[in-house]
Amino acid sequence: MEKWPVARIVEIMLQDKYSSKLKELPEPARQLVGLVVVTIVVILSFAIFNIFFGHDKDLTAKMKREEEKIAEKRKLSDLLSNLPTGILVTYDGTNGFKLSDELYEKVCNATKLITQRTIMGANLINLKAYQIYTGNGNQVKETFVKWDNENKKCVAGYVLKGTIEGKEETITVSGDALSFFSTGIDTRVYFIKNF
Amino acid sequence: MELLKKYPNLFQWLFLFIVFFFLCFAIDVPETYKFIRAQAEFVKDPNQVSFTVLGAEVRYYPFDNFWRLPPLLGWLPIWVNDSIVFLLEEWMPIEVWNEDLQEFKKQPLILILTRSISAFMTFVIELIREIPLGGVETIVAFTSWEWLDANPWAKLPGLPWTVVTAGTAILGYKLGGKGLGIFAGVTMIYVSIFGQWEPSMQTLSFILVATPLSFIFGLILGIMAFKSKTVEKFLNPIIMVMQTMPQYSVLVPALVLFGNGDHAAVIITMIVAIPPMILLTLLGLRSVPLEVIEAGKMSGCNNFQLMFKVLIPTARRDILIGVNQVIMVCFSMAVIAAYIGAKGLGWNLLLALNQLNIGVALEAGLCISLIAILLDKMSLAWANKQIDYFGKLTFFERYKNTLFFAASVIIGVIIAYIGSFYLINGFNYLFEIPHNKGISTAGFWNKGVDWIFDTFFYSLKLFNTWLITEVLQPMRALFLRMPAVATLVLIIGSGYIIGGIRSALIVGGLSLFIALSPWWDRALVTTYMTVFGVIVSCVIGLIVGTLCFQNKHTMRFMLNVCDIFQTFPSFVYLIPVMMLFGITDTSVLIAVIVYATIPAVRYTIEGLRSVPTVLHDVASMSGVTKIQRLLKIEFPLAFPHMMLGLNQTIVFALFMVIIGAFIGTEDLGQYILKALSDKKGAGIGLLLGVCVAFIGLIFDNLIRTWVDKRKKHLGIV
Repeated sequence: MEKWPVARIVEIMLQDKYSSKLKELPEPARQLVGLVVVTIVVILSFAIFNIFFGHDKDLTAKMKREEEKIAEKRKLSDLLSNLPTGILVTYDGTNGFKLSDELYEKVCNATKLITQRTIMGANLINLKAYQIYTGNGNQVKETFVKWDNENKKCVAGYVLKGTIEGKEETITVSGDALSFFSTGIDTRVYFIKNF
Repeated sequence: MELLKKYPNLFQWLFLFIVFFFLCFAIDVPETYKFIRAQAEFVKDPNQVSFTVLGAEVRYYPFDNFWRLPPLLGWLPIWVNDSIVFLLEEWMPIEVWNEDLQEFKKQPLILILTRSISAFMTFVIELIREIPLGGVETIVAFTSWEWLDANPWAKLPGLPWTVVTAGTAILGYKLGGKGLGIFAGVTMIYVSIFGQWEPSMQTLSFILVATPLSFIFGLILGIMAFKSKTVEKFLNPIIMVMQTMPQYSVLVPALVLFGNGDHAAVIITMIVAIPPMILLTLLGLRSVPLEVIEAGKMSGCNNFQLMFKVLIPTARRDILIGVNQVIMVCFSMAVIAAYIGAKGLGWNLLLALNQLNIGVALEAGLCISLIAILLDKMSLAWANKQIDYFGKLTFFERYKNTLFFAASVIIGVIIAYIGSFYLINGFNYLFEIPHNKGISTAGFWNKGVDWIFDTFFYSLKLFNTWLITEVLQPMRALFLRMPAVATLVLIIGSGYIIGGIRSALIVGGLSLFIALSPWWDRALVTTYMTVFGVIVSCVIGLIVGTLCFQNKHTMRFMLNVCDIFQTFPSFVYLIPVMMLFGITDTSVLIAVIVYATIPAVRYTIEGLRSVPTVLHDVASMSGVTKIQRLLKIEFPLAFPHMMLGLNQTIVFALFMVIIGAFIGTEDLGQYILKALSDKKGAGIGLLLGVCVAFIGLIFDNLIRTWVDKRKKHLGIV
């Protein structure tokens, strides 16, 4: 079997004739060889380091994506801070600020919270949800706000968990988020149409 | 081959720089890499990778290792901190009787030890403080507050400032003659009439506790190192690290172990002041001639007698120089220790600097500097004073100083008593001029600062902007642009060329430690600031030193100036630069330059002085001009000595850069400052200090090795 080239080179270098030749070299030349060897050892050590603690080749792309996300969030946050405070609506005929279609989508994407008033309003027409909500001490397990790209509308909802007549029940209430409440810092879902 | 033989080093350096620059150009900065915040130890990001060592989680961005090494030692500060907390809160709990609760309670051993040491230190500091200032704390320590309420007469009265001033002047006269006596008197009068009496006495009490304790421990450890090679080998690396470690960083663990206050400050001051005492004790004992030791042995001395009757008295001067060094370190620490609650002038200075009240800061700084110069001169005079063992003196001649002091006590007390009948605004100025009730020039200085800003605002701003944008930022960018592999190749290669494989391994190990810590970028910023300061200081030092060397009087004058400037605690340097340049990087760098120029000038003069005068004569006889003599004979021969000055310059510059964090830099010093206010900062503070020490040690190793080789080459060893 043929030997690995590096091992072969080392073997050759270790042979007497070469080592004695190295010893025969004048001191400055030997020092220069030593420096070259030291430099190679340092660079090789880094290469070995790279094998064990190798860098993530996709890191740049990932970090760029992360930066884009942060930039997007910042943009949304700028947008929200420019909106008037109070109620933002998607329909005509109220005193609230009317959102354009474009703004509606952006506000929907930026919104994370649902006000308690909204939940209580949606529960009015869902008896089971009402019972669970009042029974579990107004606990909401999960909320969600997402943009439905197909129907071009904002869907908001929440999950309630509790016991009704001794039975563990979980219910999801969802509907169109038709109005929002802007605090100047963030926006919250203000009305869910679940009928 | 002939060329290689003729210029062996040139080829090696050439090769090293080619490799270095090749690596710098070949390795790009990763696109998303953010300088300084790259390690992002305080940021949680899904793109980071993490590992856990001894329960400590380290997160980092996995960039190319050729660019930056991963912070594999990132767990170390967390582990050090956890270990300190564990020792303090959990290790070896023992039952202790609690007087208040009247029951046994379990407390960890280290906590009991540290609290006992703290209580002892507090008691001693209060005792010494109450001798000049008066008070009740010492009496309460022996009795109780209830007892004191019942006996309101029981309190230490304190000494009038006139008595302390007279005592200091008499001591100055005894040690150094009329000149020192007058200087001591004037200093104390200045301190008093400028209303700095109380803070000055607080600072002095702190020094009077720290100095003797540092002296005793330093002397004992020095003797042990002299006696045993093992102890010396054990102490050597610790001393080396301690001497290059910024004093800031030692404050953090002290804060955790001993809490906040004068006692913690004394303990930390001792830790910083003991290493120079050990070194000078060792140096003194080593320099005792063999004949003296032989004579001692022949006289039948046992080991104890030989040490205390022969060796130590013979090495008295070096040991007392050690005391001088201890006092100076204690004084510089008196200011820095204000960060952990040490009362006195340092505290006032820090407060004034924080409020940007330059006038008050200047007054406090001037007081600190004057007292530092006084203590320096007194301790040096003590070291140099010859003891007259055989003089036949009369009773008056022998005890005249004691008699004068006794008389001054009586007169001072009587004057203070008379003063108590003529109170001005309720204060007896003949007993003590209260703080901020004396003469104040703060308003004048503050107006001066305003005038400087009003008059030179645009020119200063122009200079500031030019320096930052045209010099500092490009230099900073250059340093930060160096890939880790290129930097390590440069450092290790330099070590190899200068001192062979041993030196390469040492500097390589030290730099690898920093590279594997989470603060590589910050270390590069620290290095860039230091390098900038050192380059400018060396140029100034070389020119000023060489010019002053041409004349005997200017040379003596400049050495005296260096002596005086060296006694100023480093913090004092920040005052004038803040006056001129405000809170900017320029201020830090100017302070670094001024501070680091002192050793550069001193060692240039000392180096030129070390050239044998015979060579001057030989050169003159050979018909060389003054310039030729300087360039061809004096400089080459003085260069090794001057390089030792470069070593000192680097250490001074590093210290100042770290202190400059107070103004606001973004280097390792800034993190040390942050660690001071961090509950879990002990490990970080300590390890950051070690990183700074290692930067100093890398330069130290390279320069010392080069100097030794060069001296051998020139035959001046």
